[in-house]
Amino acid sequence: MDIQVDICEGNRDDNSSNVVKIPERLLQREQARLDDAERRKEAKESHSVANENSEFFTKAFNRDRAAIEELISICSGADRALATQTLDEATAKTQQLQKFLNDSMMFLAQYELRQAQASLQKLQTSLAEKRDEALPKKKFAFRSRTKATEQVCDTVPATQSGETVIDGHTPAESSIGKVEETVYSKQCGFSNMDDMVLTKTAGEINKNDVLLSHLTNCKVRLFGSPSTLHIKNVSGCEILCGPVSSSVFVDHCSNSTLALPCQQLRTHNTTSTQVYLHVTSRAIIEDCQGVSFAPFTWSYPTLDEDFVVSGLDRARNNWTQVDDFNWLALGTPSPNWTLISEEDRKTTWEI
Amino acid sequence: MGLLTILKKMKHKEREMRLLMLGLDNAGKTTILKKFNGEDISTISPTLGFNIKTLEHRGFKLNIWDVGGQKSLRSYWRNYFESTDGLVWVVDSADRLRLDDCKKELSSLLQEERLAGATLLVFANKQDLPGALSKEAIGEAMGLDDIKTHHWCIIGCSAVTGENLLSGVDWLLDDIAARVFTAD
Ligand SMILES: Nc1nc2c(ncn2[C@@H]2O[C@H](COP(=O)(O)OP(=O)(O)OP(=O)(O)O)[C@@H](O)[C@H]2O)c(=O)[nH]1
Ligand SMILES: [Mg+2]
Repeated sequence: MDIQVDICEGNRDDNSSNVVKIPERLLQREQARLDDAERRKEAKESHSVANENSEFFTKAFNRDRAAIEELISICSGADRALATQTLDEATAKTQQLQKFLNDSMMFLAQYELRQAQASLQKLQTSLAEKRDEALPKKKFAFRSRTKATEQVCDTVPATQSGETVIDGHTPAESSIGKVEETVYSKQCGFSNMDDMVLTKTAGEINKNDVLLSHLTNCKVRLFGSPSTLHIKNVSGCEILCGPVSSSVFVDHCSNSTLALPCQQLRTHNTTSTQVYLHVTSRAIIEDCQGVSFAPFTWSYPTLDEDFVVSGLDRARNNWTQVDDFNWLALGTPSPNWTLISEEDRKTTWEI
Repeated sequence: MGLLTILKKMKHKEREMRLLMLGLDNAGKTTILKKFNGEDISTISPTLGFNIKTLEHRGFKLNIWDVGGQKSLRSYWRNYFESTDGLVWVVDSADRLRLDDCKKELSSLLQEERLAGATLLVFANKQDLPGALSKEAIGEAMGLDDIKTHHWCIIGCSAVTGENLLSGVDWLLDDIAARVFTAD
């Protein structure tokens, strides 16, 4: 701020030829700049605090993890009392580590969070295995421990969306009538149908973006590879679709069965729906209940070719990995989705 | 030390920009970020939280924040507003049914005091899709012509093909640089 004063004095001295004249505008500009610079500096500092935090987290996390692994590895069944003590200590430390992760969630990037979750999962598994191996008759002891872990997790606030949707219509949708009309005339797909069997061929679909909307009790078969697929306001439908090269977006879907391969599955406001899924990145749900997942099993004569067209990796199917955006608590599984057990899966499909 | 020297010094120190990338879920924000940075885009999951990428471009250091757009995350957007030089608003040009939603979210962002100084770049993304609306149609749907508070520009692009990503970012940098890094 000293600078500012100097400049002002210099500026006032009209007779002095060796002082640069600085127009008012530039001065203001400079003041704004300095304020801005200050603002940036603060921001940078807080950014670096975030960095430091995450660095600190990673170091501390890895150190504790190594300590627990060490405990697990030195534990043997030779001395039962010692083994119990060691494993109890390892379990307690694991719980602390979980707590530490929960507390650090806010400043961790997604990648770090997943890494940490994965290593905790691994710790839990090897701890359980070791307990089985070293203390074969006391399995239940570990179970009671995991319960304690769950309680820790319960304290993490799970976000619950307070929005209620009435009659399957969001407020935004009602005011969009005009746009909606033009959509239906131009877009590849089906809209406003009841009790119909609807099919599209590979030729019709050919890398189009496909929209299915306002369908009730329909059987839809999409043979081909769409670029992307939107399913909106459907109920009681069975929708089977060839490989979708990017995302499938589902909104307001109920009592339906979907079968599809895709890169991402984004499910919203959906209830009582089964999804037979091949997903190469991840599936997510938001504001959903009673959504269940099984691996994709539908097949049709040109499926292989369509997989090639879509560019999807056939060997990579993450159908079991579902993120619930209303349930970000670590450790406790979301009550909003489940996996369909093998005996309950649909194995035959009518084309 | 004269004013000009100081200004010059500052210029060098501060060739750093903070860009905030927002938009509805599924718009293609993360895909844009990764494509721009030359990374694989086939394994991208819906963003649970945020990603930060720091990269050098044309001698600027860009800190790009990509925050998840799911409804349940939108209330957290404001945690990222501070010190934003450029706001990149990404629109899925083929998602006609949510244009209204998209406009509303953008309008409320533009009223944010902490984003008041930021330049706005709108990416009308997914232009490679046959059903995509043109950038003009998107601009109209977003009501861009009514924006008097921010410098803005709309660019049609595709994160999948990479088309126009560079020209969008270049426009943004030029606008910010003219505003922030030059004395006059
Ligand atoms: N065809 C096409 N698909 C795209 C384009 N950009 C993104 N996608 C696809 O759209 C889907 C969503 O992309 P993301 O980058 O995950 O979207 P996002 O905006 O980051 O979404 P959130 O993280 O939920 O906020 C993915 O399946 C992408 O492959 C594009 O330009 N063209
Ligand atoms: Mg994302």
